Amino acid sequence: MSKSDPEFLSKLSRESQAAEKLFIGNIATRLGRSAISPAPEHPFRGAPEFWTSYELGREEQIARFMGNWQAAGGFTERLATMSDLPGVIARILREQNAGSMIRQNLTELEQLGLEEQLPELRHAAWDGLDAEDSLRTAEQADAGIVLADFAVAYTGSIVVTSSTDKGRSVSLLPNILIAVIPADRMHTRLGEVMSRIASVPGEQFPAGVHFISGPSRSSDIENDLTIGVHGPGVAFALIVG
Amino acid sequence: MSKPQGSNVKERAKSALKDEFLIDAVKFTTEKLKNGKKAATEEHGNWEEWRERGRLIRAHTISHLDYYLSKFIENARAQGVHVHFAPEAKDAARIAIEIAKHRGAKSVVKSKSMVSEEVHINEAFEELGIESIESDLGEYIIQLANEPPSHIIIPAIHKNRYQIADLLSKEAGETLPPETKILAGFARRKLRDKFLEADIGLTGCNFGIAETGSVVIFENEGNARMVSTVPKTQITLMGMERLIPSWDDLEVMATLLPRSATGQKLTVYMSGITGPRREHDGDGPEEMHIIIVDNGRSLQLGDPEFQELLNCIRCGACLNACPVYRHIGGHSYPGTYSGPIGAVLTPALNKNTQEWHDVANASSLCGACYEACPVKIPLHDMLVYLRNRKVERGYTASGEKMAMKGFKMLMGSHKLFRKAVKAGQIGQKLLVRDGYIRSQIGPLKGWTAYRHIPALPKRSFREQWPGLSAEIEKSIQPMSGEMELRMEEIVQARRKGGGHA
Ligand code: SF4
Repeated sequence: MSKSDPEFLSKLSRESQAAEKLFIGNIATRLGRSAISPAPEHPFRGAPEFWTSYELGREEQIARFMGNWQAAGGFTERLATMSDLPGVIARILREQNAGSMIRQNLTELEQLGLEEQLPELRHAAWDGLDAEDSLRTAEQADAGIVLADFAVAYTGSIVVTSSTDKGRSVSLLPNILIAVIPADRMHTRLGEVMSRIASVPGEQFPAGVHFISGPSRSSDIENDLTIGVHGPGVAFALIVG
Repeated sequence: MSKPQGSNVKERAKSALKDEFLIDAVKFTTEKLKNGKKAATEEHGNWEEWRERGRLIRAHTISHLDYYLSKFIENARAQGVHVHFAPEAKDAARIAIEIAKHRGAKSVVKSKSMVSEEVHINEAFEELGIESIESDLGEYIIQLANEPPSHIIIPAIHKNRYQIADLLSKEAGETLPPETKILAGFARRKLRDKFLEADIGLTGCNFGIAETGSVVIFENEGNARMVSTVPKTQITLMGMERLIPSWDDLEVMATLLPRSATGQKLTVYMSGITGPRREHDGDGPEEMHIIIVDNGRSLQLGDPEFQELLNCIRCGACLNACPVYRHIGGHSYPGTYSGPIGAVLTPALNKNTQEWHDVANASSLCGACYEACPVKIPLHDMLVYLRNRKVERGYTASGEKMAMKGFKMLMGSHKLFRKAVKAGQIGQKLLVRDGYIRSQIGPLKGWTAYRHIPALPKRSFREQWPGLSAEIEKSIQPMSGEMELRMEEIVQARRKGGGHA
């Protein structure tokens, strides 16, 4: 059973509509209003003004990003062009003893021709139409390769969004994460990416928007840092351009 | 769940302090977190401007909560989310169970959610024979120990690696060495299977974004991503006050929360989840439920003294800054939340005036919590209000009433306060009988810093007192002029009988 039956859901929906009136009504009453407040002015929206003009040049951005990613326990490399990528990825996967990999199903990644570079590896591309199989493949893969939608220099973060071709599992389940970041997708501040995300219309809005800032970590045992708890423990950021 | 024995803060603290490791681990870790925050905020710069912006955004959202919550609901529904309402804790558990039953769920895998602790969701599932597993490493450890979290951010802050090795060895059926890497590795393997098997993923929610109906989760391990990626059904428990208007506002929260919690620029993962998977997505939940929980929160709305409590972003900075929390640990506080925020939030959510007596006293009024708070919640003022309300309602010994009268004089003068602490120190020696503090006499009765030093067994008391008192004195910072002014105003308002019940 993949979804609840419609009758159950419509019962929940009826209950929800009824409960909502009371729930929100109570909030409005406590706030001293007899009806829900109309759209209020929001004069404090977003970061303070001095911050929104903060800008780094491209080279500074890249240096800052790399410093942050490394400080979080990740690895970085800078490449001149996309044509340098296959060799670098092949080297990394060999060094890491990867036996299998899964990538997002994107032309940019397909064109790398990694199958030819690494014939000894099992290769797969995410396929949302074959959900069960893709999930199993991602779970068993040693490495996941993604193309970042955005990157943020100031926090050392990449952003990946989900779609049919871009499973969330690719950046999550394998132990090695390789993120390809075209330099022109790099921004200085989080806010620049936030506004781009917010401007995506509802019908196209991705279900998952993930900011990733290095390898998975935990400090839950005696505050001793452990890398690679549930997500990838090895995280490469490859900046191209 | 087993907490240290004892019915009030003092007794629980007494039992907590017997555990030597707890004292050291809590001090060590809170110190580290505090320093991390200090370094991160200094590096970032303009911290006061950011704090003020954070406060304004949260205060604005809460004062228009009816609007923003309605917007959030509308947008989440438009993305296919089933939204539910839980006026009380038991309603949240009831709804979650109804969904789980309908789905025929055998197992639930959970990521960190303080609200789920409030509503005792694990117990509710387990009663039905549904396995409910915590997947955050710290939460997993304390679940195995059958204990509640003792810190908002580091739930197992009170456990050392030997205790953890014991707990995990039992799970593993073999002896695991007390090495962080190995223990974490075992948890990873074990929980990986649980993620893959689970019918339902249950998450908390750091922020709900009204403009898109998105749930935002901050985490470092990746377990919340697992919980919201693999299981077919996702249930998210969200406190009704978790909202922010927009993604632009998320930049401010993302600047304040990780730096205040752990000193990170950003947590390793920050995920915005907007509805179930799209039609041809291969992962993410097929069905998504959000349960919006009140459980006493709405009682703070319209209350000028306590509404700001709802601005809290649960960063834990006030715990790390609090000299009392650092000494007695989280299990000494009743309820789900500990430290200064817990001391105010627990009785506020419960509207339990009698309990106020107990928890409101478990703090030193030094103002460190306010200084630490990224959204500037005046917790120390609130502690004063709590004590005052208690006095007004007559739930207090006459000594405390006198102490409240002396409040202005003492609070107005830092020097006097320190002197009083010293006097308390002398006073306490007279009170130790049979190894415990039996009753309290002396100049600071009721509400001074020393009051919160739990009664200790005789020997241990004598051994520890010099260190304790020195540490607490050190922690008492001079009050800022602004804070003193506000304290003064409270006293004036109280004199005029200006209370809000
Ligand atoms: S009260 Fe302030 S410092 Fe304490 S947890 Fe909440 S936001 Fe953080």
